[in-house]
Amino acid sequence: MSTASAVAGRVEINGLVFNPYSKDFIRDPDPAWQTLMRDYPIAWHKDLQMWLVNTHELCDKVLKDNRFTPNFRAWEFAPPSKAEADKNDFDLSFEKGFFAVTNKEHLRLRKLTMPAFARPVMMKIDAKIHDLVENCFNDIGNVQEFDVYEALASKIPVRSIARMVGVPTDKEDFFHDFAVNIIKATRINLSAKEREASVQGTLPGFAYFKDLIHERRARENPGEDFLGSLVGANDNGEKLDDHEILSVLFALITAGSDTATDLHTFLIHGLLTNPDQFELLKQKPELMENALIELLRYGSFGKMPFFRFATDDTEFEGQFIKKGQAIGVNISAAWHDPVKWPEPTKLDITRRMDGNLVFGAGAHFCIGTYLVRVQGMLMLKEFIKRFPNAELVNGTGDIDYEYTHHNARRINKLRVKTNVKAAH
Amino acid sequence: MQKWICVICGYIYDEAVGIPAAGIAAGTTFADLPEEWTCPECGSPKESFEVYAE
Repeated sequence: MSTASAVAGRVEINGLVFNPYSKDFIRDPDPAWQTLMRDYPIAWHKDLQMWLVNTHELCDKVLKDNRFTPNFRAWEFAPPSKAEADKNDFDLSFEKGFFAVTNKEHLRLRKLTMPAFARPVMMKIDAKIHDLVENCFNDIGNVQEFDVYEALASKIPVRSIARMVGVPTDKEDFFHDFAVNIIKATRINLSAKEREASVQGTLPGFAYFKDLIHERRARENPGEDFLGSLVGANDNGEKLDDHEILSVLFALITAGSDTATDLHTFLIHGLLTNPDQFELLKQKPELMENALIELLRYGSFGKMPFFRFATDDTEFEGQFIKKGQAIGVNISAAWHDPVKWPEPTKLDITRRMDGNLVFGAGAHFCIGTYLVRVQGMLMLKEFIKRFPNAELVNGTGDIDYEYTHHNARRINKLRVKTNVKAAH
Repeated sequence: MQKWICVICGYIYDEAVGIPAAGIAAGTTFADLPEEWTCPECGSPKESFEVYAE
């Protein structure tokens, strides 16, 4: 059923065309994505009150176009700025963060922080979090069946980030709440009341990390670990201040904890529903990194798009976008764009991934990309080592979703049959 | 021969290796890459790169 209309030339759709909250969409999103890409590459969504950009080509353009900012404060419905004296640590960290600063300042921040996120450094993280991953598998043991979400996905990401930034494991829940609140604090699909509650929920976490930063600054040498490298970062005499460091933690947590939960469930789901590709990966482990990116593309776990906001009145692809309007960059759809990805619903771990948008594109490319790769590859290697003959229980893993999740098509139940011999 | 890092995504361009699969031969210096060349990982322009010292 088409609901497109041409009001002053504007292509419009509504929830009948794309409803990211519907159970049908969450279970099987591809038909809606294909309709959007084929019929509405760009359209105003009347129910979501935002533009939606859907094809690979257009998503790539928006992500690389500086007229569209990820700064939530540029949104037409953003809460008004607070007086300086009323700003809390969340406000100050957000203002100094990657999403809010000018392009020049953003490049400076990236230069100062990239050494801590570069591939060689992240590959060394492997050694730091390997035991965490092993321990999750040790806890599973020699059982006949287990739930991927409970045993792996809900544990590995938050423990990995906590280890990376120096949070003790007994503060795992505290850290997890901090991470979820950070993400929810600027989600425009939530109510202002929910966002404000999330902002308040971040404050104990910010206070905790400020203390850690001050403790490192007081040392003669701030340390060689991740936090130490941020405290010690120096570019021609320029250093990061407390709220800039907090803003980096903000970005890391956003990129690496809640989102990475879906990484683990979708990696295993993708492989076990494609036994030929599971077999190929076991035979050719050198394909691991490519497989991980292809599995993310194939699973495409996003529910809501990335958000951008128009910094000025602008014409884009024949549509007039007003200053402050939100643009939903529907990269989950773009990952299934048949123009870019022939047979998009086929998993092919040998596929060339050049030009993929799996970690975004342009100036705000995912800063945690290598961390996510390390974490995912460690988990997959261990999974293959322990359960090389694994299958999904009843062929589907008795899969279920957290339908109310604010951001992702979150799988919260995925049962695996291990096919290991029971211990006697 | 030097290595260059994209400060946006962390991709490292190694002049000694080039990117043969993309038609950039081993030994191609960063300066010799076309001005419109972009980071193969994130699409950022050349000015996003800095010399990378390991």
